[in-house]
Amino acid sequence: MVMVCARIRLFAVAIALLVLATAAPVAAQQPNSVDPNADAVKEQQLLQQLHRIQGLGSIPDTKSYVIEQPMGRVWRLFHEVFLHWIGGVVILGLIALLLVFYLVRGVIRIEGGRSGRTILRFNSFERFTHWTIAVSFVILAVTGLNITFGKKLLLPLIGPDLFSQWSLMAKYAHDYSSFPFVIGVFVLFLLWAKENLFTKVDIEWFKEGGGMVGHKHPPAGKFNGGQKALFWLVVLGTIGVAASGAFLLFPFYLTNILGMQIAQVIHALIAIAFVGLIIAHIYIGTLGMEGGFDAMGTGEVDINWAKQHHPLWVDQVVGQGRAATPPAGATPTPAE
Amino acid sequence: MRAFLVACLAFVVIGAAGYFLLASVQEPSGVAFTTSGARISPDWSWRSVGSRAGECDARKSWQWVFVDFGKPEGESATCSISQ
Repeated sequence: MVMVCARIRLFAVAIALLVLATAAPVAAQQPNSVDPNADAVKEQQLLQQLHRIQGLGSIPDTKSYVIEQPMGRVWRLFHEVFLHWIGGVVILGLIALLLVFYLVRGVIRIEGGRSGRTILRFNSFERFTHWTIAVSFVILAVTGLNITFGKKLLLPLIGPDLFSQWSLMAKYAHDYSSFPFVIGVFVLFLLWAKENLFTKVDIEWFKEGGGMVGHKHPPAGKFNGGQKALFWLVVLGTIGVAASGAFLLFPFYLTNILGMQIAQVIHALIAIAFVGLIIAHIYIGTLGMEGGFDAMGTGEVDINWAKQHHPLWVDQVVGQGRAATPPAGATPTPAE
Repeated sequence: MRAFLVACLAFVVIGAAGYFLLASVQEPSGVAFTTSGARISPDWSWRSVGSRAGECDARKSWQWVFVDFGKPEGESATCSISQ
């Protein structure tokens, strides 16, 4: 029995040696016994379990201790891919739509032509406020779009040196232009908020498509339904970009990295919508409508234009005794 | 036209006020994100570390904006590039 056990042990040891002898050359064939991906696997596990990888540091900026956080990738995907598509579709799509509209509808003419008699639509302070916002907005839009599209569109054209200098200037111009823009919109809100409250007349205006389709001109007061919608979108949009912009102007003072990312997303999306909205506004105020620009140019609009687009406002002005101004150099016609 | 020109002027004036406001409230990133113990100088943020940083004056914000309009007298061109 003892002999049998001894033979079994001997056999087992022989088998073990055989296994070791065959396995050793296989291990020796590996270039390195250390798995180079092992650390990455651990990091991936950490990222999945803790939603971030962070360590310890000695500087006060604790944010710098965070190496990876999943939302950073989502934000990067938004900023580098989705935002480009959203911005491109909104801006180029709107320009294409306006072009089609222009080709189909053409310029909205003053029916009956210009009378030569004008009526004051916006006083100098209103125009001043409007143009302060307009100038600020153009600077903000150009410099803001540079942040989104500059790297793709401008950098290949002008090279890294010029692009970095331009982008540095654009970034500062963007920051400083925000002040006149926000102050201007606030003043405009104080000036026009009451006149831009929606009424039943505006419902009719919207039902009839604002007179854009066909040749009917739905009634409107000083501001029609579309202008009121634009006004409130500008006010709300400004609140949105100003609030999110404050987070970006003072990074990490008010929020953490996630908050910064959300603020940037909100800021970018509202800004893109804003640019689209203002492109449409510029079109209808210049190319799309005869006599429309006069309202913000000289402040005086032709009485025929006013009766066509804002008849209720004309009635109101006439009712208040503010008659239309005859053209310069016109001689008064004696009553018959 | 006059309203537009005055608006341009107002834009510049309010924008300049915005610059002074931000300059007084915002902290330079070189100060905000480092410790005073580890920081050799608040002007650490020269990009060209160890080149000629010691000979360069720190740029004010307006100099950054108008970076193409020259450099402080007697200063190397490297300073403009390095910032």
